[in-house]
Amino acid sequence: MIKIKDLTKNFKDKVAVEGLSLNIRPGVVTGFLGPNGAGKSTTMKMILDLIKPTQGEVTIDGKYYKDLKNTTSKIGALIDGNAVNPNLTARQHLELIATAGGIAIEQVENMLYKTGLSKVKSNPIGEFSLGMRQRLGIAAALLGEPETVILDEPFNGLDVDGIHWLRQLAKDLARQGKAVLISSHLMSEVQAVAERIIVLAKGKLIADMTIEEMSKKSLSAYIKVKSENNELLSSLLKKKGAFIQNANDENLHIRKMTLKQIGIMAKESHIALFELKEMQPSLEELFVELTEGKVEYISTKDIRERKDGRK
Amino acid sequence: MKNLIQSEIKKIFFLKFSKNYLISMIAMGLALGIIFSLTTNVTQGKAITELSPMDIVSTNMLGVDLANVMLIIFTALSISKEFSTDAIYVSLVVTPNRKKFFASKMITYFLLSIVVSIVMVALTYLTSQLILSVHGMSRIAFQNANLRQFLLGVSVMPVFYCLLAVAATFIFESSGGSITFSLGIMAIPALIKMFSSTIQKLVMPILPQSAIHSLSGVAEQNSFESLGIFFSICILLAWIILVSLIAVVKFQKQDI
Ligand SMILES: Nc1ncnc2c1ncn2[C@@H]1O[C@H](COP(=O)(O)OP(=O)(O)O)[C@@H](O)[C@H]1O
Ligand SMILES: [Mg+2]
Repeated sequence: MIKIKDLTKNFKDKVAVEGLSLNIRPGVVTGFLGPNGAGKSTTMKMILDLIKPTQGEVTIDGKYYKDLKNTTSKIGALIDGNAVNPNLTARQHLELIATAGGIAIEQVENMLYKTGLSKVKSNPIGEFSLGMRQRLGIAAALLGEPETVILDEPFNGLDVDGIHWLRQLAKDLARQGKAVLISSHLMSEVQAVAERIIVLAKGKLIADMTIEEMSKKSLSAYIKVKSENNELLSSLLKKKGAFIQNANDENLHIRKMTLKQIGIMAKESHIALFELKEMQPSLEELFVELTEGKVEYISTKDIRERKDGRK
Repeated sequence: MKNLIQSEIKKIFFLKFSKNYLISMIAMGLALGIIFSLTTNVTQGKAITELSPMDIVSTNMLGVDLANVMLIIFTALSISKEFSTDAIYVSLVVTPNRKKFFASKMITYFLLSIVVSIVMVALTYLTSQLILSVHGMSRIAFQNANLRQFLLGVSVMPVFYCLLAVAATFIFESSGGSITFSLGIMAIPALIKMFSSTIQKLVMPILPQSAIHSLSGVAEQNSFESLGIFFSICILLAWIILVSLIAVVKFQKQDI
């Protein structure tokens, strides 16, 4: 398991990551979200010891990455699909990694096939589209059948087929018990696969929970009510502590009240209800809320309890 | 480590550019040596037949100097490419121990430069023999102790500068910086001659060129370049170790 403790990185006077603490668990796909510049790549590079933390540390099964033996069986990573020598062919690129990592050469063909690159394996990578380079990067990451897979923005440049393929692949890897960490600046890309969501904004952890947990806490969650007498109902509910916005004359948007409470209140006041419906925020809305810091999604107590509970 | 070196060798020879470059390098080095040997009346003001066989061998060996410069450029280009394309990410994810990574590069280029050097020097020696016999001059036997020392000393040069260039590329992370540094070290002796003899006396003995000249036996006796064999080897090793240390310390601390 990867443990990140109090990880901080300053670039000169710029804080890229600040006081980040979390564990990356096996058997789960973890979505690592945040707008551009949030510090996702920097964090991933610190896990891989490519970037040296200003403070804090990362350990993999209790060891520093650079002290690991057989790194390719521990962690495989895609940092940047473009980080390749464009004059090499796909096959050669993978063979270099296999040779350096002591991985059987058969694995190269195997991964080329799995990532759909068999047909272009002898073409120079310089001729590849970004999507193909991402596939090659994923092939490289999986070459050593690592326990942990780290993919930085792997959906970038993938077409619809590619996105579906990668989601399925991520799920399969998690099912095999691997820890899968996938970063993205778009919630929609990871919502379908990630069981757990970590959100960074301005280098700080602002959420660490399941998608369901997150939706429940959102400000965008409200109850939509259409009634015989919106005005009366709204004043009654306000007295009970509801927070109400008149979206328009037809509808009331009610927060801090349950469906039941509203229904009973309407019944007691003899107001006919035409519509009573719980509205969930879209994940993108949630994401915007989160990253704009409107909602505090993390209480340290919360997280600690959950972590201990799963150990 | 063996895996890593194998991977580094593949990294070089998977590229058509490398093969073409290295072959051209040897061809051009040989050609230049031959041209110099055959144009001595222009360059040295003496007809080839007026020169001693040893002079002809050493004139021909100027081709090794060209190969040496070209090998420095090759080394700097090849290694800096890994930084400039960010392919270094992939390498270091597989081999996070940066000392080991650096060492594998050094060993790989050490092996490469030895091969290049032996091939270059051997071919140049053979062409010298050919030139000698074409001009009806007596050939120079390989048993000749001076010749052997000369060939050995010349062979050291590409190996030394290649290793220097490897370390320098890690320091500068650019081919330009590395080439400038390595060629600069080669050029200092020429520059130092413009300074007073006190400065020359101080600086000349610690320059790699002096050590290489001493090893090959071409350093004039009692000149500032003239060093003992043991001291020459120490000077060359000291240069490699010092520049490597700077490279490793920098490389280990840096963000990639
Ligand atoms: N090498 C660097 N030097 C200076 N600033 C950097 C460097 N790398 C990243 N940053 C800065 O750190 C912040 C986080 O960047 P990054 O980790 O790439 O974010 P993300 O991957 O979430 O988009 C950004 O503001 C970025 O400009
Ligand atoms: Mg990024």
